[in-house]
Formats: sequence, structure tokens, C-alpha cells
Amino acid sequence: MVKKKSWFMLVSLIFILSTVLAACGGKENSEAGNGNGGSGKASETKELTFMYRGGTDEQKAYTEVVKKFEEDHPGVKVKMVVTAADQYATKLKAAITGNKVPDVFYFESGDLKAYVNSGILKNLTPYLNYSEDINLDNIWKYGVDLYRYDGEMAGQGDIYGMPKDVGPFALGYNKTMFEKEGIPLPDNDVPMTWDEFIEVNKKLTKDTDGDGKVDQYGTGFNVNWALQAFVWSNGADWIDETKTKVTIDDPKFAEALQFFADMQNVHKITPSAEDAQTLDTYQRWMKGELAFFPVGPWDMSTYEGLPFEYDLMPYPAGSTGKPATWTGSLGIGVSEKTKYPEEAVALVNYLTASKEGMEMLVNAKVQIPNLIDMAEEWAADTSTKPANKQEFLDIVGDYGRVLPGHYTYNAEWYNLFFTDIQPVIDGKMTAEEYVKQQQPKMQKLLDRAIEQEQKSKKK
Amino acid sequence: MKTKSNLYRKEKLYGLLYVSPPVLGFLLFTLFPVAYSFYGSFTDWDGLGQMDFIGLSNFKDLLTDDLFHKASFNTIYMMIGIPIGIVLALLLALGLNRGIPGTTTFRVIYYVPVISSLAAISIMWSWAFNGDYGLVNQFLELFGIEGPNWLMNKHTVKPALIMMTVWKGLGYTMLLYLAALQSVPRSYYEAAELDGANGFAAFRHITWPMVKPVTFFIVVTNIIGGSQIFTEINIMTSTGGPEYSSASVVFYIWQKAFSNLQMGYASAMAVVLGIFIFIVTLIQFKMNEKSSFDI
Repeated sequence: MVKKKSWFMLVSLIFILSTVLAACGGKENSEAGNGNGGSGKASETKELTFMYRGGTDEQKAYTEVVKKFEEDHPGVKVKMVVTAADQYATKLKAAITGNKVPDVFYFESGDLKAYVNSGILKNLTPYLNYSEDINLDNIWKYGVDLYRYDGEMAGQGDIYGMPKDVGPFALGYNKTMFEKEGIPLPDNDVPMTWDEFIEVNKKLTKDTDGDGKVDQYGTGFNVNWALQAFVWSNGADWIDETKTKVTIDDPKFAEALQFFADMQNVHKITPSAEDAQTLDTYQRWMKGELAFFPVGPWDMSTYEGLPFEYDLMPYPAGSTGKPATWTGSLGIGVSEKTKYPEEAVALVNYLTASKEGMEMLVNAKVQIPNLIDMAEEWAADTSTKPANKQEFLDIVGDYGRVLPGHYTYNAEWYNLFFTDIQPVIDGKMTAEEYVKQQQPKMQKLLDRAIEQEQKSKKK
Repeated sequence: MKTKSNLYRKEKLYGLLYVSPPVLGFLLFTLFPVAYSFYGSFTDWDGLGQMDFIGLSNFKDLLTDDLFHKASFNTIYMMIGIPIGIVLALLLALGLNRGIPGTTTFRVIYYVPVISSLAAISIMWSWAFNGDYGLVNQFLELFGIEGPNWLMNKHTVKPALIMMTVWKGLGYTMLLYLAALQSVPRSYYEAAELDGANGFAAFRHITWPMVKPVTFFIVVTNIIGGSQIFTEINIMTSTGGPEYSSASVVFYIWQKAFSNLQMGYASAMAVVLGIFIFIVTLIQFKMNEKSSFDI
């Protein structure tokens, strides 16, 4: 009986202990790490945590690259923590709040200022300068500059992260459809004017099976991701040079937005408003029912299996005559508090700037090469889809831009623009009215973000 | 005497030991975070750095925050699903209580959504609601109705979400009612029959009052749960729906805290939400107290 009782006692003790231990897991873990170091054995293995996100193809590719890194760096072990894309921000910020920042982790370029001001990201400049493996001149300037910050302005100064990749959002077209309709293929170098673009789209929008319903459309853009190309190429923007004023009330901006909405309401070259969002136009493109659709490098592995030929072209250009689009990126940074900065930086470099790592990732078709010489070689090979891969490189090197939210402490003001936009897209409100109504609201949020930034700098 | 107090002390010790895991868990994982976020609501904390006390400023901003008002309205609007769910579940439970063949199978079928992952269900329903090839619209087509693109239209997104939450909660509510119905003594009905009461009268005067405690429990838990709706919205309308028409309060809190670096402001909203739930629950308890005397 007594024995039985003490057994119960033990179990309950374990319960309590595990509760307590789970609660301060962070500390316990790091102390355990230290303890091992003291016993002399673990000074040989340095464990890094690497937190990242991605789909299954990317996870597979990254797991393999990290395995290779471990082989090349004996004594370093990498613990990989992966989450689904939409949970990543929450998990990372929870880890930061709980003082459990991973040694190496992905972060959004828009969060750069906040993370640097709060002492979360390590300044990589000294390490990069000493490293012989890294030639910054051979990496897209656009990508590296995204992670520079001098305490005032993002884009200049020390480097706090390396681009995991750069994601030029190019415009694709259904080559097979053009050939079938006997329409000359778009020029790779000279962008169409807006009028020319509408003309081609009208020719391609038709009822192919004669049931009285249109089932082949010119295009179907998602406003969140495609409006930028039209606004920028018309010489307008969401924010001014100083990054303190919301400039959507510029007539050039309204003109571009109106043009965007008119594609559906006046020219009828896109599926109806309700069908035009997210999945649906993507599905239509995949089925070969759309002539034009944006293509990101991350789409390449999926688009391998399209039932038609596709290729890339410049976006149609507004009044500036120059095409425009955005280039995304995700940074990989190192925690300020990491115990093994050298190894952590080595891992970052392996994933972003080494020939070995880059080759593996490019072969998995999840991104374009970060290394310029490798990228040029890659683009020169026109036998793989899409043939005009050079367009991706032109965007990164020449006409791609960062999304407006990147420059500010948070992107809330920018997101508000898209929250209320549907009536304009549906033709129930003019672009002019909309920008007038929305500008002050966005300005208020931007002011708040600027105020927050000032505060975070003082700390 | 001595041995007795020894035993007493020992038992007390064991008792304390056994209750300590949940108590400690409560302190660490509930009370402490609640207190922390309460404090955070009076600061300009961005979730990363230092917290500066700014008094009631966050709460003042909430008064004029359009998106917060929209999110609050949406959250309350979507609670329409609660009475609908209760009526449907009670009808189902009454049906199943009649001992028709296959009762167990039906019970299982209705209970499956309850134990399924909310994320998986949300993904499934976002397919069902797809405007082009979704199950819901295909079904409507049978009757010649052209369905909307449910989740992309600001007028239909909330009804769509309500439909889904009702469906999800049905099995659980039904099971509670079923248990309650089975505990109603048969003799009451026999007595009512002798007095010449018809089916509806029996339901009104016996069944409904007898299951009242269960109804009360369901209403309270559903309102608390409904105030905290998040996963469905996050998965099915990841931007908060067209014109923010499906964003709930918790969704807005989450956006503020984790995308916009305004943990202090988000905490203030969490405090307001907490107070709202507390007051609503309190009112319900008071009402239940009063009406219990009617039986």
C-alpha cells in the first residue's frame, strides 16, 4: 500500500515538474546546452535553430541544403523549425516576445526597422566583410539593399539580413492562344501601351464554344498584386520620397486605378468582379482560358505542367513609357543573441550566397539564382520554360520595385488601401472619389507608424 | 489521535499535490498572461521592445477606430448562428430520441464535425463555397438558382460563415440535448397524457423547462466561443473578407498584434472583449437565476 502511494507521489511530482519545466522551457533549454558544453562533450556540436516557412517543394529543397551544410561544417547541427506561411509571422513574433529568438530565421523586409531598433537582428556587415566566400557584387543589389538600414532610412547602411531570394513578379502570356488566334507574339523588350494592351485583350476575349457565354478572357488581375504595375508605370505611387506622405490623391494615381477598373467594367476583358479574385483567375489561367497572367519564380515548378506554352513579357506601360512591377523578397537574418554567430552567418551565407546551396535551390525550381553570374547562365538557357527568363532578371536588375509598405514601420496604412477597394473594381465608385476618401484615413495610419518608429528608436 | 492527524496531514499533502498541476497551469498559462495583457493595454508596446505607459490612450483610440467597430459588428452579427443552431439541434435531438432505427449512426454522423480539425473544416468549406465549382452552388443550380461567390461578396460572406459554424456546432449541441432529453422522467409525460395534454403542450410544459439548464449552458458557452471566432475567418477569408466584412474582433486583434506591431493596442482590444464576455455571461446568469423559479 505504502509502495503504491509513493508511486503515485512520484507520478504527481513528475506532472508538476513537467508543467513548471514547460513553462520556462526557453531557459531550461539553453541551460541544458551550457551544461553539455561544460562537460566537454558538446563543445564539439554547436546547435543552431533555423526557423523558416514554405510549401512542400521548398521544405524538401531547404532540408536537403541544410543537410549538405551540416556535412560541410562538421560540429554544427541545425535544428529546423518550419511553419505554414500564414502562421509564420505569429510564431516568430511569439518567439521574440518569449525571448526565444531562433539563431537563424526568415523575416519580412518590412519588419527590418522594428527588429533592428529592438536589438533582435544581428548586424552582419563585419562578418560579411571578412568572409572570403561572399562576393556581394555578385548578388542582386536590389536584394541586398532591402536589408540595409542606417538607423534612419531602410535601403542604406549596414546589412542585417541576406535575401533568401528575390521574387520578380513578371507578366506571362499564353503563347499557344496567341498562335491559335493568329496574333503576333508580344515583344520581349518594347512594352505595349495601355491602348495596345486593351486592343489585344479585346481580340482574345471571346466565346469559343458558341453558347453565348464568354469563356476565354484577355486577363484577370488581382488588384492586390497587379495594380502596382499600372500605378508605377503611370508615374504615380502610394507614398512620397520622404516616406511620410500618402500620395494616392495624385491624378496620375487615380488615372491608373480607373484604367485598372475599366478593364472589367468598360472593356469587359476580364471575368466578372466576383470571379476575378484569388483562386478563380488563377484556375482560369491554368486551364488556358486567360491570355495574360502574372508569373512569379515560385510558380515555375507548378507551371511546368500547364497544358499550353507560356512565356514572359514586360507589363504594358502607362504615361512614363517604362514598364513597372514589384519584386518580393524574404530575408534571412541572425539573432543578436545567438551563441554561435560565426556558424549562424555561415548558414545564412550557405543558403543565400553559396554556389552549392544556390544550385540545389534553383534546381528545385522554387526561385531564381541570387548569384548574378549563375542567374545569367540560367536565363541564357531558353530551352526550359519559360523561354524568356531574362525578363525576371530585367525586373530585378532594372525596373522592379519594392512594395510601398517596406519603407514604413508597419504596412497597415498600405493594406487599408486594399481593404475598401472593391466598389471601385466593381465600377460602383470612381477612382477619383476613392482616392480622395481614402487618402486621409491612410495618412492617419502612416502618421501613427512614423510615431511608433520614432519611439522605437529612442529605446 | 496522533495517527489520525498524521493521516490527515498526509492526505492534505496528497490533495494539494494532485490539484497543483492544474492550479499551477492556470497561474502560469492563464492568470499571468491575462494580467500581462491587462497591463499591456495601457502601454504603447510594439511586441518587441520596451513598454511605455500611455494611460487610456489605446482605449480612447478604439472609440474612433472604424475597423474595430466593423469587426465588433461582424462578430455580433455572426452570433445569429447560435439560436439557429439551438433550434436545429433540439429538433434533431427530439427526432433521435424517438428510438428510430439507426440512431447511433446518425449520432456519429452529426458528431464527426465536432471532433474534426477546425482548420481542415475551414479549408473544406472554402471549397464548398467556391463560386465557380463549389458544392453549395452546384446544389443551388439544381433548383435553377445561380449562387453568389460566397466568400468574395460582402453580403454573403457572413451568412456563409454562419452556415459553417452552425453545421460545425450542431453535433455537440445535439448530443447535450439528447442526454438532457433522456433524463426527463417518462412519468411526467404519462401524467400529462392523462391530463389530456397534446404533444406540443407536453413539449412546452415538460420538455422545454426540463432541458432549460442545458439550453442555458449552450447559450453561455456559444456566446463565449462566438466572441472568439478566429480560425474559420483566418483561413476562409485571409484578408478579413471584402471590405473587412468578415473580420472578427479576434482577427483584428491578431492583425494588430502580429502584422502591425501594435501589441499594446491589441491588448486593449482583448481587454474590451474580455469585459464584454464577462458582462454578457453575468447577465445570462442573472436571468437564469430569475427564471429558475418559474419552473
